[in-house]
Amino acid sequence: MMLAIEPILYAGAIGLIAIGVAGMALSRHGFRIVLALALAEAGANLLLVLGGFREGGVAPILVGGGNTASMVDPVPQAMVLTAIVIGVGVQALAIALLIQVKEHLGPIDRQGLRDAMEADIDRHAGLPLPESLDRPLSREGER
Amino acid sequence: MSQVVLPIVLPLLLAFLLPVVMRPLPGVGRWLGPLLLVYDLWLLGQAWPAAGAAPFSVAIGGFAPPLGINLYVDSLALLFALAVQLMGLLLWPWSDGEEAPRRQSLALLLIASSTGMALSGDLFNIYVWYELASVAAFGLVIDPARAASFAASLRYLLISGLGSVLTLVGITLVYVRTGTLNLAQLAELAPGTLTGPLGMGALVLMLLGFGVKAELFPVNHWVPGVYASAPARISALLAGVISKLAVLVLARLLYLMQPGAEVAGLVTGLGILGMVSGELAAWRARDLRRMLAYSSIGQLGMIFVAFSLPGKAGALAGLALVLHHLVVKSGLFLLAERWDGALERLRGAGRVSPLAGGLFVLFALSIVGVPPLPGFWAKLMLMQGLAAEGGWLYGTAMAVFMTATVVEASYLLRVADRLFAAPEGKAPRPAVGGLALTSLLGGGLLVALVTVNPLARTLDKVAGVAVDRDGYLLHSLPRERGRVGEGGDPGSHSPLTLALSPRGVERERGARP
Amino acid sequence: MRRFTSLLFAGGLAFLLFSLVATLDFGDPPMRIGSGILAQAPAQVGTANIVTAVVLAYRGIDTLGELSILFAAATAAGLVLARPGRAVSAPKPGGFVLRVGADLLLPLLVVIGLYIIAHGHLTPGGGFQGGVILAAAFFLPLLASPGREPTHAGLSLVEGLAGGGFILIGLLALWQEGAFLEPLLGTGQLGALLSGGTLPLLYLAVGLKVGAELSALLARLMGEGHDVGD
Repeated sequence: MMLAIEPILYAGAIGLIAIGVAGMALSRHGFRIVLALALAEAGANLLLVLGGFREGGVAPILVGGGNTASMVDPVPQAMVLTAIVIGVGVQALAIALLIQVKEHLGPIDRQGLRDAMEADIDRHAGLPLPESLDRPLSREGER
Repeated sequence: MSQVVLPIVLPLLLAFLLPVVMRPLPGVGRWLGPLLLVYDLWLLGQAWPAAGAAPFSVAIGGFAPPLGINLYVDSLALLFALAVQLMGLLLWPWSDGEEAPRRQSLALLLIASSTGMALSGDLFNIYVWYELASVAAFGLVIDPARAASFAASLRYLLISGLGSVLTLVGITLVYVRTGTLNLAQLAELAPGTLTGPLGMGALVLMLLGFGVKAELFPVNHWVPGVYASAPARISALLAGVISKLAVLVLARLLYLMQPGAEVAGLVTGLGILGMVSGELAAWRARDLRRMLAYSSIGQLGMIFVAFSLPGKAGALAGLALVLHHLVVKSGLFLLAERWDGALERLRGAGRVSPLAGGLFVLFALSIVGVPPLPGFWAKLMLMQGLAAEGGWLYGTAMAVFMTATVVEASYLLRVADRLFAAPEGKAPRPAVGGLALTSLLGGGLLVALVTVNPLARTLDKVAGVAVDRDGYLLHSLPRERGRVGEGGDPGSHSPLTLALSPRGVERERGARP
Repeated sequence: MRRFTSLLFAGGLAFLLFSLVATLDFGDPPMRIGSGILAQAPAQVGTANIVTAVVLAYRGIDTLGELSILFAAATAAGLVLARPGRAVSAPKPGGFVLRVGADLLLPLLVVIGLYIIAHGHLTPGGGFQGGVILAAAFFLPLLASPGREPTHAGLSLVEGLAGGGFILIGLLALWQEGAFLEPLLGTGQLGALLSGGTLPLLYLAVGLKVGAELSALLARLMGEGHDVGD
């Protein structure tokens, strides 16, 4: 039976990346943007580990004098391990930042984040706030 | 020469240990970082003559490339590594508070990873160092006193995360097509396997990914927020030095993969857009730090245009612009630390502190490119390169470049004018903070002014190395010997290597079973 | 409009990736370095699990960078969350069953974590996987009874020393053999617990480091505002 599994796997990986990227662009809430980033990273990792796939290959572990000729490529597996760990670190830091932004600036939706940041910089620089920003920033725009 | 790995590894070691050491011994701990950076500078300086004579490659773990990861040490990589360590030392985050160990650990991680980016000869390894530099930067840009810095760091993280996904996909495409990650082997295989849509797509993805830190046009909207709210020294370090490392990575990829006119044209186009958007936004900015942030986007646009030019002339112009921007932008951000705030408030500040005002004018004139100053020579090189190349794209680049220079002159001199205007109403804020470091950078600029000829000759050599694709292949991959960069002739080992490896030299390097 | 352009961008990216991936030879990768490593690793490095040979020997410095990234993330999170000003309401402790269950699981998790780390060069698993389990062991009791304070000092000590240990082993190799992170102590009998030279030691350092970093990250996120680790 030769059901082509490859296009499905690739579709999964690329679909995850696309969903993640679309989610990052479309989500309003900061936490959802971070989740979308995690999705996109998962898709990229899946694509990477698929890159080492070999038709009929076995896991690159020697058991009882097995030969290495039929093994799948071990390098993408090592790379994906690295990439996953990087992703974990970045996501944890993103959550920490989200906590502080929510605590000190209030809104963590996309536009609110930007406006609150610009307003805080303006305030610090001693600039008058422009019309559009001249409104209470406290908890508005939070969803 | 295997000690070149130390300037990457030792800062990592110290970064790990610093929080442990500094709790019981804060007095000792605060000196360890700067001392280590001095030692690193000495080590890298030692490698300079050898790398200048002939680039060499160091196999990490003793596994010859392409199977293992190698460091590729040529004068281009060493120049950037030295710049990172030197500027890291100058802009060291001296602080004594609760958070000093964390801040200094992160600074060491940033310096180590940037050095790794400069020296590494392996695509995925470069990605790892790039990510480390990013994560360290997310932490360093936090200024606990300023709520905006959290939001700025978060926005930086999100765009950077998206960039890293794109880079990873690009690397995957390259790996699945070629089956290797070693840059030299990739360069060797590129003409046969990475031509056409796949190679181009992969390279564009990596361009966008690595471009985040290099402030490349569509992925740079994190820049103003971060530079305006981070501690000034960190802004100086990121804008002045770390962005250039990402430029180096991209330039390496462009020169080694030779992706063809389309990608080069894309880089030129993005550089032009960066110039336009950056300089116009800087012109509209109402405070000094955001002005400098936007203007650095514009200047990196110029640098991208330079590196997208084929041949040595472009590399030379790019290097000159990079070094010039490195000194001048760091100096300007340091000045912005004392003149933080709205431009209106700067009225008369230069009269209060004539030295600071004078330094600002010096940096501003050099950025604009007023003749005897180094900035002029750098810009002249770019113009010569563009003129020699011709074509509508480079013609447009030239026109935009001239206009950008005029805009730069307009907004920088507007500030300078305000600095020396008569103060109106209440007296200007008293200047705070020392000017030693800024003066040092200004002095460096003046030294460059009088040594412009030898400097140009050195840069010319480095630029020659940068575009020397065959040289990279020759020195990077093993041909006859089992190991590279090791045990060739005993004369190539410095006394330090001999001291470091009692058995290393005598041992037959290829003898591993 | 924004929705439309965003969807267009994501769709375009997906289409681009599909058309690029379609040109690749799926299931038959060129494996230029892959097959070289597969052929040489058993004799050169001596680990039954060849992925471990790649992670710790051929691409050991990647792993060092990766540990540094975790460390940087934990340190940066500490810096970010150090800013005070959060009113934390004391969370309710879990019930008796939860607390005792967590305490009973703790030794089991530690043993499993160490087992997986120790066999990383032989079987699937290793420092990263085992380290995550160690972090779970550290964190389970804290989740069950949130009032308990994590031991920050010990955590930061393990953080520093495990990472330092990895680099020191690498530097020892530089001093002994002339190449950073070159495996020492020979290769041993392929498939034996004590084989692969210094690789199991490196994996132990990786495991402890990963466990400590993840614990620190979680503890700092949980500590919410009051400074943790200093």
